[in-house]
Amino acid sequence: MNVIEINNLTKNYGNARGITDVSFTVEEGEIFGFIGPNGAGKSTTIRTLLSLIYPTSGSATIFGKDCIKYAPEIKKEIGYLPSEVFYYNNMKVIDLLKYSASFYKKDCTKRMIELAEIMNLDLNKKIEDLSLGNKKKVGIVQGLLHQPKLIILDEPTSGLDPLMQQKFFDLLEAENKKGATILFSSHILTEVQRLCDRVAIIKEGKIIKLEKISTLKENNYKKFKIQTTSGIDENFFNLSGVNNLNKKDNIISFLFRGNINTIMKKISDIEIANLWVEEPNLEEIFMHYYVKED
Amino acid sequence: MNMFLYELKAYSKSNIIWTCSLVVLVVLLLSMFPTFANEATEFIKLMEGFPESIRKAIGLSLDSITSLLGYYSYSFTYISLCGAIQAMNLGTSIISKEVREKTADFLLTKPVTRKQIMTAKISAAISSLIITNIVYIASAYTMAILVKIEAFNIKTFFMISITLFFIQMIFLALGLLVSVIFPKIKSVISVSLGTVFTFFFIGMLSTTVGDEAIRYISPFKYFEASYIIQKGRYETSFIVSGVIFIIIAITTSYLVYSKKDIDAV
Repeated sequence: MNVIEINNLTKNYGNARGITDVSFTVEEGEIFGFIGPNGAGKSTTIRTLLSLIYPTSGSATIFGKDCIKYAPEIKKEIGYLPSEVFYYNNMKVIDLLKYSASFYKKDCTKRMIELAEIMNLDLNKKIEDLSLGNKKKVGIVQGLLHQPKLIILDEPTSGLDPLMQQKFFDLLEAENKKGATILFSSHILTEVQRLCDRVAIIKEGKIIKLEKISTLKENNYKKFKIQTTSGIDENFFNLSGVNNLNKKDNIISFLFRGNINTIMKKISDIEIANLWVEEPNLEEIFMHYYVKED
Repeated sequence: MNMFLYELKAYSKSNIIWTCSLVVLVVLLLSMFPTFANEATEFIKLMEGFPESIRKAIGLSLDSITSLLGYYSYSFTYISLCGAIQAMNLGTSIISKEVREKTADFLLTKPVTRKQIMTAKISAAISSLIITNIVYIASAYTMAILVKIEAFNIKTFFMISITLFFIQMIFLALGLLVSVIFPKIKSVISVSLGTVFTFFFIGMLSTTVGDEAIRYISPFKYFEASYIIQKGRYETSFIVSGVIFIIIAITTSYLVYSKKDIDAV
């Protein structure tokens, strides 16, 4: 079953770029990564899903229901954590969390205390006295206290120290094991790589790639680094499947996708001093997508 | 209900301050009445030196000023000005603060419709105003009893006093409308003060010019105390136009707010 289904979603903001024809689906129980640089349209997509903004055209469903028409009903089962958290400053943390819980027709007290303990959050402080990281923890607790079936995270890790980030990821993985579906938007690839099953890459408002993390990493790309004994023509490796070609003195490096034999034969034509073949990390693959069309 | 209670609590402090100000204002003004009534003849002589248009503009009617109701209706001009600022402030801020303080993301991702949010907020604002009015009228009445020299018409006194609530409702509705139409209001107090004073001066102008049509523009002139004192009732056409404005403004606010994009901070 698809928890989120986005069909040709478009949002125009006058002259400023919004999103164009965004389509993808998130299946039940998966952790779905949504990556792209700042301003690519991640937040616009997420805000449309949450009916904070209305689409120019296209539609989206969550739990099989239209995300605008059935917004209040759908939101009972959604936990949302924005990149920047703002709460009513004059409230105490505990009052804010209780206010948040009062919107859901169930008792969330136990889970709230549990989460606050895991995240090491002082419940008796005033919101305005909290540091950025602590505000973020309030955000995490308020987003998860009603045990949502769908967790939507918009660049959630900013402001969290590495230890808290770790705890937060553990928490997400635990929620996921319990059955929660997670949409995780980020521009930090390592965290997406760590957590997600599938990923959509968005650039300039358009989805440019939709793939399994494992496919992205394993099947397609090899990272080649070759040290030659003498100078080599830059165009020597100019064949299809070669990307991100870089030449520095006698060292040439590139990403290769395709039949590995082709490239090996090519390499055998020249004198080499050294050769490295590695799995590229997601960042390198991503940079390739990103740079390609520029 | 949770939102209603939250909003009511969030505005309780400012509501108490405004209510106190109104009470202090009416107590001060009415406490001057005995002295004023004693020296009325001299005062009238003095005021006759002013051009009639100025007397009209500041709401001074020499025929009735020496009676308690006449004096009260003169004072009431300034009390309603203060009350209007309170209501306009409340209306302008109660919706727009979510955007200003960037808490809209929190509230609007909860399982509630925007209509429910509006209803909770408007109900909280109206309740605040009702509390203010109850306290105000009780204080004004007590004060009137204390300072009266001769008996006055209690019904008329209440009829004048209750127009405070009506004027406040109009400005509350106006504030709501302004807050949903303008994308981001940085300073509520400057918007509300500016608007209220503009209407106040339009009201002054209408009395000076004596043009009935201009009276419709300024809510301050919807309820002429002199008319209420004389006839013992309100002017229907102004009640109707006031009610129509409130309904249109609030309905429009609902519609605009429901369709509005809440942009990222």
